[in-house]
Amino acid sequence: MNSSPRTARILAITCLPAAALSLSACGGDSGSGSGGSSAAATGNGQIAAVIKGLDNPFFQTMQKGITDQASTSAKQVTVQAANAITDTSGQADKLAGVANQDFGCYIINPISGTNLVQGVAQLAAKNKTIVNIDSPLDAKAAAAASAKPATYIGTDNVEAGTMAGKQMSTLLPQGGDVALIGGISGDVTSNARLEGFQKGIAGNVKVVQTEAADWDRQQALTKATDIMRAKPAVKAFFAANDDMGLGVARAVANAGKTGQIKVISVDGNKDAFEAVKAGDISAVVAQYPYVIGQMGVEACQAAMAGKTLPEQVQAPVQVVTKDNVDKALASAPKPGEAYDDPFAKLVTK
Amino acid sequence: MSTATAAPERTRASSTGDRLKDASFWAEWAALVGLVVLVVIFQSLNSTFLSAGNIQSMLTAAAILLVLAVGQTFVIATSGIDLSIASAMTLSAVAFGQAFTRGWGLVPSMLLAVTAGLMVGLANGLLVAKAKITDFIVTLGTLSAASGLALILAAGKPVTVISVPLLRLGTGSVGVLGYSFLIAVAVAVLAHVVLFRTRFGTHVLATGGNEEAASATGVRTWRVKTAVYALSGMLAGLASILLIARVGAAEPAANTAFLLNSVASVVLGGVSLFGGRATIIGPVIGALLLTALVNGLTLLGVSQFYQPLSVGIVVVLAAFLTRFQK
Repeated sequence: MNSSPRTARILAITCLPAAALSLSACGGDSGSGSGGSSAAATGNGQIAAVIKGLDNPFFQTMQKGITDQASTSAKQVTVQAANAITDTSGQADKLAGVANQDFGCYIINPISGTNLVQGVAQLAAKNKTIVNIDSPLDAKAAAAASAKPATYIGTDNVEAGTMAGKQMSTLLPQGGDVALIGGISGDVTSNARLEGFQKGIAGNVKVVQTEAADWDRQQALTKATDIMRAKPAVKAFFAANDDMGLGVARAVANAGKTGQIKVISVDGNKDAFEAVKAGDISAVVAQYPYVIGQMGVEACQAAMAGKTLPEQVQAPVQVVTKDNVDKALASAPKPGEAYDDPFAKLVTK
Repeated sequence: MSTATAAPERTRASSTGDRLKDASFWAEWAALVGLVVLVVIFQSLNSTFLSAGNIQSMLTAAAILLVLAVGQTFVIATSGIDLSIASAMTLSAVAFGQAFTRGWGLVPSMLLAVTAGLMVGLANGLLVAKAKITDFIVTLGTLSAASGLALILAAGKPVTVISVPLLRLGTGSVGVLGYSFLIAVAVAVLAHVVLFRTRFGTHVLATGGNEEAASATGVRTWRVKTAVYALSGMLAGLASILLIARVGAAEPAANTAFLLNSVASVVLGGVSLFGGRATIIGPVIGALLLTALVNGLTLLGVSQFYQPLSVGIVVVLAAFLTRFQK
């Protein structure tokens, strides 16, 4: 009978930002930044960015890097983000939305190598500058869309894993058994970090078990507890992100073996730095999403000023241990140590 | 160790000799049979499986799922389903974390967590019972809404919760029984009493069995329905406290694994998805089975790729067995 108010109520509920399931028929943009101020007509000089889900602190920090750099250089930027880290089609819709407006430069961070290819084709047809950050656009897909990103500012997860592996060998000079805790089974980032780790370790360090803990602290805690039980000889853990590293550290602490069993993780969240400071985690290989976002905007500025961009740039990766954790904490979200930014000199202040 | 646990099973089996030939007996106890089989297999392959330490970590790891499975059981007993149970837990955890960092103190933060879960449950219950919207759609909506609210409240960031009593709750134990497991058992015992020894319990089963008949005999079914969702939400709130005690942080990330596992535990436990018939011990064993399965596979070092497959097979097999229920 009076079903419409009920339906409206349900719609109101389902239209709140969704993390687990994206009921995305609600039309609203959850993108932040200066969403409404697109000023499509003038076009030139404005930057649009489409990044991954803001349900992950990594991309929140990246967003901050983008908006901070834009405001220091008095550029306007519109940041759109996927609803969730797995929302490939939603992200494609967001790019399609901004691609129809006349921005001067587009920063994209595709969830998969190919999910943004339609929007990229649109941009290529209009001859727009594309700056690819964090995750690479699939080369074949880009070629099919006859697009060529002006630059790629990459997070090299294999390299981050390798640094973690080297650090592990430093922590275990006598060698020994280590276990790896990865993200979701088959996840590209997780695989790259674990693969890099195995490249980085010395011959006397042996990987005895690899588990998937779905990027989740609670699951990592459970898995690490089980592994310590099954393989008491395990001397160290490598976790593919900080959240899982914190879970492992908790398991090690529960077993009363903090310091004896080493823990290394990758990301560089504040909580993980605090844990390094407290001695719960031995080392964190920190990536700097803030810098990636910042460099993305710098690259756009340089491109719009007519400069030629380097084809590929690696964002900084740094090992944070007890020795330099104070510095890392103080300068967060920027790196504690110096790093190379080839765009800085291209941008005329 | 293994013989010690296997022995009581054997005596139990011989005393119920006749019933063993009856397929519906196996269906009724699918989870228990599965658990015993798994325990025997894992123990014969790896002797640490039944070590006191491992039993303790399994039971502690199962506590959160146990509490959620009990809540889910009440809802499913009325032939409903609560898809929002895990995100209600996430929202409660975030509410706890925010209150705690604002200096509310431990007990008020805990109460807030339980209240937050209760509110989600109440919303579910009223929408299902009063607004007469299909349970599946309502709880799908609140699944999304609660995890969204959690992200908004927490601004997407995990909050570290450091509290000595909570740490003790997460790590302390009496023998092999961790405190959090004991809390889960207390919840289960209480739930058993409520379901089988109170008028409310009878009304829950009657509503699930045949809503019109229950209504005709004077059961106010909308109240019963609202109450089961509220109960489920409240237990999600309680589970969030156990979660925070376990990991030492309140995280806004959605724990979808808990939702699927809570439903799987209930089904494994032989509770009918059509409502009207339920036990508490069944889902409890179902939750223990799922936890033991993942624990055993991890101990054996079975490749991570095979683990989801094995969980899927066990759940479907158990569901198949329940077909033979009378």
